[in-house]
Amino acid sequence: MGPAIVLDDVSLRYENNIILEKVSATLDAGQCHVVMGPNGGGKTSLLRSILGLTPFKGDIQFQWQQSKGKIGYVPQKATFEPSLPLTVLDFILLNQSRSPLFFNFNKKHKVKALQQLARLGMEDRAMFRMGQLSGGEQQRVLFAQALLDDPDLLILDEPTNGMDEQGVRYFEALINDLVKEGKTILIVHHDISAVRRLQATVHVVNGMLLESGQAEEVLKPSKIERLFNHYRHHSSQQKSEIS
Amino acid sequence: MDTLRLLASQGAEAGWLSESFSYAFMINALVAALLVGPLLGGLGTLVIAKRLAFFSEAVGHAALTGIAIGVLLGEPPENPIIGLFCFCMIFALLLHFVRNRTAVPYDTLVGVFLAVALAGGAALLMYVARKINIHMLENVLFGSILTITDFDLLVLGLSCLLIIVGLMFTFNRILLASISPDIAKVRGYNTHFYDYLFVMMITLVTIAAVKIVGAVLVGALLLIPGATARLMTKSMGSFVLLSSFLATLSCIIGTLLPMELKWSIPSGASIILVSASFFLIATVTRIVGRK
Repeated sequence: MGPAIVLDDVSLRYENNIILEKVSATLDAGQCHVVMGPNGGGKTSLLRSILGLTPFKGDIQFQWQQSKGKIGYVPQKATFEPSLPLTVLDFILLNQSRSPLFFNFNKKHKVKALQQLARLGMEDRAMFRMGQLSGGEQQRVLFAQALLDDPDLLILDEPTNGMDEQGVRYFEALINDLVKEGKTILIVHHDISAVRRLQATVHVVNGMLLESGQAEEVLKPSKIERLFNHYRHHSSQQKSEIS
Repeated sequence: MDTLRLLASQGAEAGWLSESFSYAFMINALVAALLVGPLLGGLGTLVIAKRLAFFSEAVGHAALTGIAIGVLLGEPPENPIIGLFCFCMIFALLLHFVRNRTAVPYDTLVGVFLAVALAGGAALLMYVARKINIHMLENVLFGSILTITDFDLLVLGLSCLLIIVGLMFTFNRILLASISPDIAKVRGYNTHFYDYLFVMMITLVTIAAVKIVGAVLVGALLLIPGATARLMTKSMGSFVLLSSFLATLSCIIGTLLPMELKWSIPSGASIILVSASFFLIATVTRIVGRK
């Protein structure tokens, strides 16, 4: 079972720029949570704070059901140099095993890596260079990487960016399966119709937490414009405060 | 080593090996080449993946200043290993420390450090020149197989052992920390530790290879075999293995060739030219293959 995540007065600034201010929320265990909001609203910063990748004020607690579990993470994007002979299989093995890539003759490792790629429909790309893949294919490999340790908490930053329809279908089916297994899932997403399909708890963030609730409640057409246009009000408010 | 040198000498006398093998310094040089080649080639692939080519060049150039400091502090001019080791290590760690705490682009920062190290070295050499034969510096700059001693081989062997054991446990993590530091951090890896560890490995192998390849050229041997292997391989494992093989082959051929052909050129220059010829062949093959 995945953990609940309790955010208590989480604030984040880069120099004078306020990114997040006093975000408090409880993300229930074993559910899918989607963070939405306009560009620059602090969605990725919130995820990075939860992961401990960026310093913040306030408190974030993971309430694990038993002992501390594992965390899987899919970043927004990773840059792979096209000329570096790092194959898809290499990348998975890199995350999976300590045996150096130049000395890894363990067949079990390779079989396990290929099984993970098969879950995302990427096994036929195993010997392609990472830098040769399209953005959507790279996202699928990054997702396969995140699933390697059978994580209890999965955190994904815009995982369907650049994915084709088939990729999105794989992704949504997997998320539904993982929620059924009791994992806690936290996703930054910007596609409203896709989020409705996921049946998740939605948290709208724009410098602060604007609203939380079930997708069908938060993403009502009457609310969407107000929540997602808030950016202009917020930034103009900030500018007037600074000046 | 004595047994090896005796066997080689007997082989040369019996006509199985060329006359060059009857010289003790030649055997020392070949053993050094066999030790340092795989290591430079293997580490070179990480230098390429981490885009630290300019950094490894800078550490090589800092060796000059380290040697000058060592001699000034009273170390033997032919082997000022403490000055060399301490200065290069401080230079590399300080450079990396400043890199993590400034917004200055990394290549600019390396350029500044390189210039300071070279200027300092040039200034100190004026004083050092009074104490030693200035031609000795040529050996430091471009390598000299004649000067490799049993002690050098011992230091080289220990350095190689240390780095190979370290790499066996950390290669994947060093690579992941450079490709995707965020994923590495979420997996619980201390990315700063792996960065510094790699910097220390590069510095150690640079110091160990100064006598055979030379301070100015050691960075090139970290780079060229890797660059060649990158053109010819399709996976990371074969990339590392081929790079190590090409670096070792370059070291062996580059050491033997001037002796066999009686060319009076430094071992470092010869090794780099052999390595560069492999790169040239691979590049031409690749261009022709595409047409």
